[in-house]
Amino acid sequence: MPSFALMSHHLFLLSPSDTPLYSLTHYSTKPTSTVASPLSSNLPNWSTSAFAGTLTALSGAGSSAHQTASGTVRMGGGQDRHVIQMIANASLDAIEDIMKTQNAMFLKSVDKFNEWTISAFITPGNMKFVLLHEGKNDDGIKSFFTDVWELYVKTMLNPFHTAHTPIKSLVFDARVRASAKKNL
Amino acid sequence: MDTHAFASLAQVRILLVPVGTISESTFNKYATELRTFDAIRLGDIPADNKDERARFMPNPLSTGYLHLSFPTHPPPFSHLPLSLLRPSNFPLAVIGLAACSKTDTLPTILAEFNSALLDIFPAGGMYPLAKNCFVFEEGEGNTNVNLGDNLPSLVVIPSMMGNKKLYIGTLLADLCSHVLGEFGTLVQGLESPAGNEHLNSALMPMLPPPDLAQPLDNGNGRKRDSLPPIPNGHSDIKTGFNLSSASNLKRNSSSGSAFRHSTLNVPPAKKRLSSIGVASSHGRLFKVLGDFYLLAGRTEDAAVWYNEALLLFKSSSDAIWQAATLEGMATVSIIDAWSAGQGLNTSVSSSKDQWIDVFDKLSQAITLYHRSPSVDGEHNYSLLAYLYSCSVLRQASLLFSIWSAKGWGPLAFSTMLQPGPTPYLPPTLSHEGLTSWAHLERLSTLSGISRSNISTVLSQVHGPWLLHLGPRERISILENTASLYACLGYRRKEAYILREVLGCILDLIVCGREEDGFSRLSSVPLPAGLGIQGPNSSGSSQRGGNVGVRFSENMDGNESVLKLLKYVCKVLGINLDAVRLLENSEANSAPVETSTTSIEDEIATEFSEPYGWPELQVGVVREAVAVAEALPDYLAVAQFALSSLKTLQSVLASGDQYHLYATANRALLTAHRRGDSKSVEYWSGKPLVRISLSPLPLVRLPIEKPLSALQARASDIAPILTGATDPFLYNPRRALGQMQGKTLVVQNELLEFVVALQNPYVFDLEIQALTLSTSGVPFESKPIRVVLPSTSFHVVTLTGKATETGPLVIRGCFVQAPGGTKREFTLPISTPEDEERISRRRAALECEVGRSKYAGLDCFPWEKAGKRSSAQLSASTTKTPLRFSEFTVVPEQPLLRIRRTSVTHGAVMMYNGEMSTIRVTLENVSPLPIDFLRLVFDDSTIGPAQQALANGDLSVFDTYETEYDLLHRPVFSWNKEETKDIPPGHKLTVNINCYGKVGCTTGTVHVSYSYVHRPAANLDPSPPVFHTRQLSYPVMVTVYHMLECQGMDILPFPSVPSDLNDEQADDDDQCRGNEAGWCLFSVEVRNTYGLPFEVSFERIQQGRPRGTTSTTVSPGSTSRMVIPIKRFILSEAHISQPIPTLSDRQFIVTKSKLSKPQERAQRELFWYREELFKNLRGRWREAGGSRSGDLSLRQQRMSLPMLETLRTETASIQMTLHRQEGDDKVPCTVTGGKFYPQSSEFVYLRTKVTNLSLTSQVFTVDFDLQSSQHIIFEGLLRDVPIGRLESGESCEVETGLCFLAYGRFEISAEAKVVGSSESKGTGRLTAMVRAEG
Repeated sequence: MPSFALMSHHLFLLSPSDTPLYSLTHYSTKPTSTVASPLSSNLPNWSTSAFAGTLTALSGAGSSAHQTASGTVRMGGGQDRHVIQMIANASLDAIEDIMKTQNAMFLKSVDKFNEWTISAFITPGNMKFVLLHEGKNDDGIKSFFTDVWELYVKTMLNPFHTAHTPIKSLVFDARVRASAKKNL
Repeated sequence: MDTHAFASLAQVRILLVPVGTISESTFNKYATELRTFDAIRLGDIPADNKDERARFMPNPLSTGYLHLSFPTHPPPFSHLPLSLLRPSNFPLAVIGLAACSKTDTLPTILAEFNSALLDIFPAGGMYPLAKNCFVFEEGEGNTNVNLGDNLPSLVVIPSMMGNKKLYIGTLLADLCSHVLGEFGTLVQGLESPAGNEHLNSALMPMLPPPDLAQPLDNGNGRKRDSLPPIPNGHSDIKTGFNLSSASNLKRNSSSGSAFRHSTLNVPPAKKRLSSIGVASSHGRLFKVLGDFYLLAGRTEDAAVWYNEALLLFKSSSDAIWQAATLEGMATVSIIDAWSAGQGLNTSVSSSKDQWIDVFDKLSQAITLYHRSPSVDGEHNYSLLAYLYSCSVLRQASLLFSIWSAKGWGPLAFSTMLQPGPTPYLPPTLSHEGLTSWAHLERLSTLSGISRSNISTVLSQVHGPWLLHLGPRERISILENTASLYACLGYRRKEAYILREVLGCILDLIVCGREEDGFSRLSSVPLPAGLGIQGPNSSGSSQRGGNVGVRFSENMDGNESVLKLLKYVCKVLGINLDAVRLLENSEANSAPVETSTTSIEDEIATEFSEPYGWPELQVGVVREAVAVAEALPDYLAVAQFALSSLKTLQSVLASGDQYHLYATANRALLTAHRRGDSKSVEYWSGKPLVRISLSPLPLVRLPIEKPLSALQARASDIAPILTGATDPFLYNPRRALGQMQGKTLVVQNELLEFVVALQNPYVFDLEIQALTLSTSGVPFESKPIRVVLPSTSFHVVTLTGKATETGPLVIRGCFVQAPGGTKREFTLPISTPEDEERISRRRAALECEVGRSKYAGLDCFPWEKAGKRSSAQLSASTTKTPLRFSEFTVVPEQPLLRIRRTSVTHGAVMMYNGEMSTIRVTLENVSPLPIDFLRLVFDDSTIGPAQQALANGDLSVFDTYETEYDLLHRPVFSWNKEETKDIPPGHKLTVNINCYGKVGCTTGTVHVSYSYVHRPAANLDPSPPVFHTRQLSYPVMVTVYHMLECQGMDILPFPSVPSDLNDEQADDDDQCRGNEAGWCLFSVEVRNTYGLPFEVSFERIQQGRPRGTTSTTVSPGSTSRMVIPIKRFILSEAHISQPIPTLSDRQFIVTKSKLSKPQERAQRELFWYREELFKNLRGRWREAGGSRSGDLSLRQQRMSLPMLETLRTETASIQMTLHRQEGDDKVPCTVTGGKFYPQSSEFVYLRTKVTNLSLTSQVFTVDFDLQSSQHIIFEGLLRDVPIGRLESGESCEVETGLCFLAYGRFEISAEAKVVGSSESKGTGRLTAMVRAEG
């Protein structure tokens, strides 16, 4: 089922204690090329209770259903964002596992969950940049991560910025967005 | 329940069903016994070699195994379409387990067994193929045993049987033999062209199809609906037996297999395999054959048939069946490997070669399942998704088994073959301490499979298709996924999946409840005692379907759900157990002694870093509360809500905080209404900020005094001079008193404590009961209820009274939230050492904060303290006992009040030097008598004077003046004799004298009182202290300065008494003026006031008549007052005294560097002035008024001339003139003090020298005759020796004189002490010599 929705990317900058310091949702101009399994089509419309809603969202059905229903690139409301965050958080398991054995800072496609592929970048200070993406774009992602890292290091030069301070700089945000537009 | 063992395709499922009144534990016991038979040697299985039934029978001497698994749950009805595609999914045989007691008869057991089977198995299924009922004999002497022999499908296992296990093994082998025989029968049916067509008719065909099964329906009147008939398998085993359960027994035929044979022969032709179905491929048939061979333990045959099938599938596109075949082939490889390694200690290999083939096959199968087009009816989605998920799990468990077994080896095989009802945890992982990262990584290195590989494979299982699954399959798949993640150490992923599991279960619960008619809102509580249990946790009773099963009063399921919730939250960094549930202590009034949190902990929390993903945490917490509400478990609701409020306060939005707080309160109310015995501990951090005793009003403040203060101390210096300043720069006693800071409070009097509380939340925090926590003497106080306003500090006042005397320690407060338990919060006083320790710790923490040594799951906030390895922080752990603010409760004290005073408006107006009286009436308003009363005064002049004294700049003279002023002329004074005991309720009037002193503006009367001589309660020695209370009465004082004295002078009395004095000179002393030792004191008095004053000075010299002089000084005028004073002399001893200091102050160094004579002169001045003021008294009187007072001369200075005038000479010289008349010498005529001698006549000048000094001295006299040429004298005029005169002694010398001329002669004499040229006394004589007449 080729979707005509645009590819979305979700970037999270996570502190060593797993707290997001910055997050970004980016929609690429490239269309998604993932083909959904026939198994995931024709899903039952399942709204017996609030808990079923949670389940629907977590299993990944919610997001795709939403996308096809609205046809737009918007990722839906809080529940979907919540799921994205859950996935990003869960992918830390794989990231932590691999970063202990590998030396590379850029961990490409370190994990896959539902329709998402997760790439990560680990700074020497144990910050983790986690990117959820749908397509395959290793070079772009790598250069995007390098850009973000540089921007992050510049932010860290601020003596008042600790490893746990959320990044609220508008300049940082604008530059990350620019890099995302260029690379993703 | 549903385990997804890798080798499940090769396992013959034998369903265990409880029959009759067997208890759960007994059932579990026998089930466990049966489960020990997880594999049966093929050789042990009795072969049944009748025609087609022999087909799957083991070959003689074959070495393989038949693998068994013993589930206790039948597959759901919805799985029926898988009957042929996945026969291993179904129980091929059933064993009923019954415990036989005396009351049961075997036929009833059998009947129950059969009816249970009818319930369990859908009518359209073809399984089970065999059944048996094991009746375990309980107890001894069972009477029904003999009956059992007649029932073939019932086996009684006597309790006294020796080798029970062997027997059961044999029975199982028999059962398996039946199953294998049935395989043959089944396959024979399928082999027929019709069967094959049927096999290919649908994606998931079922047997028996209606056309084949129709004949079986013959005797079955029960199934008239469209459903296929009861499974044939039932009847196969129940050969020839229908004693009691006739309803579902169809035949009495003793040979079920024969019948089956014949039914399958009903279709026209019975062909051989080779000739079957040109229309349809035989792939599916071969696959089924392979499946059965695999089940029958004949792997070679299975592999052959599978390969055949694959060949055929390659050309056709039968993806599902192909995938299933591939799965079967993968299983074959593992079974073979297991058989090869069985009993051998083969080495473990980490090379991929051995299993990569299996892995690839499974990968293919997964891909095929994933891509399978949806051709069939709508229900296929669920089964397709199920097959897909199972195959993914199979692949994942392949990798997992090899990984956990440290490589490809026997351990891995046995893991894969493990049939157990519970998920099997390999020994490499089941060790608690072995889940560390290093250990897991070691497994990866050994096995060559990284955990992320497994995770990648496993994550394929997750996707939207999970929604296709029925709840039971979904839960099972998710559970398996979660446990695999858990074993891998991927706890976040596990938490993700567990959330889905919870979602499933809760959905079932909620939906099930709605179907039960208990539709409700989540916040509306259900009727009491509803325990809703998900189907996953039910042990023995299956009331099929996907509806939650409700047991009354059964909360077991709830517990597990909550445990899951807590686990999920914990992984996300929320400690839902942060607020503990405690047994309700409401019944026992003694509060639970909670360990006081040390200050260190509080600092640690202050510096805690944020952990986790706030948005996720908030979401999960909301969900957790919703889940707990849905269960419903109200205490858990409260616990979760409050725990999240406690731990997530910084990230929760205000709306969430409100919601959680409201939810928690509501839940607690409900829980208490239901009589829950537990309650939550106090949760909202430390609310206590400060406790202080609100200072007692001065009138109530007790002051401790030593009893020794009651003894009079005459020798003491008046404290008023020192101004109560301590002479010591460092007084250890005083320092001690301040250090201890033990405030005195009074027994049985209300104490007010000001308690400051804080509320960091956005909602108003209610505290149900707030009480002081005290130790020491009993303290009565009532709890109060407080509502703390949001995000603010709040101050409340707690009152109470101590009922006994002794120390009272305020430890802190007990705080109790609504529905919670009491919790003590202590507020220790930190000593300087503590402060230093704390600040050091704070600094260390400050230094550490922001640095992360551990990341991710290793740095949970609650684990942080344990992991801290900084030596700086762990060092100072010496625990000093906590100190709290202490008060000393003293015995009850009387209370006095001022009833009335004579002072109007609290002000006194006086003239300078006036003395007036204030009357103060005191009333004892307490029930205790007052037997001690002292008045102490203070006024505004004392302070400056004390200050001046303390400075020490004053000269000795000024110092004395100031001190004199303070001591002898206080503004207030009273008569101590007026005091007496004041019984309770009585009054006492005290007179206070006021002395008008210029410069005084205010004054205070301090009344100290006490009840000293109280009866000693017991024999203990009376304390060395007593307590007083003080009452202060301030007085405004106005003193008018109206009369000023100035210009004091002392003049010599005129030597010639005026005539005016003569008439009053009856007292000859008066007239004699200077010579008689008198002088004149004069002073100017000026009236600066607006009223005339009558001023009088009185002479009160001792031994002399009193004399007064008075005048009226009109406003603005100055009058000089003059009064004669008798001169006096002070003894040398008196004068030589130094100027005294009244305060007896030490360490006073004379600053003035005076020479000895100067010093002496100063002393003389001082002492004579003092003597003068003693002898004079100035008074004033208001002209025309009644007010009078003293006029002070103290400001007047005395000069040396004045002193000379005042002082009497050492020697007095009296000179008289005597005339010679005959032998006698008669004095010459004296008139007006003048002698009238004759001229040219010899007269005798008799000079009497009297020693007036107090010592004996030797005198000489010098005469001075001014007109010596007119006088003839005899003897010497200079240094006439007098000789030694004792004190008071006098001596006369006579000198012959003759006045040679008329006129006035002045003769003076001067007495001198030998050795000094100083005049000690002078005498003077005037002689008038005139012509006779």
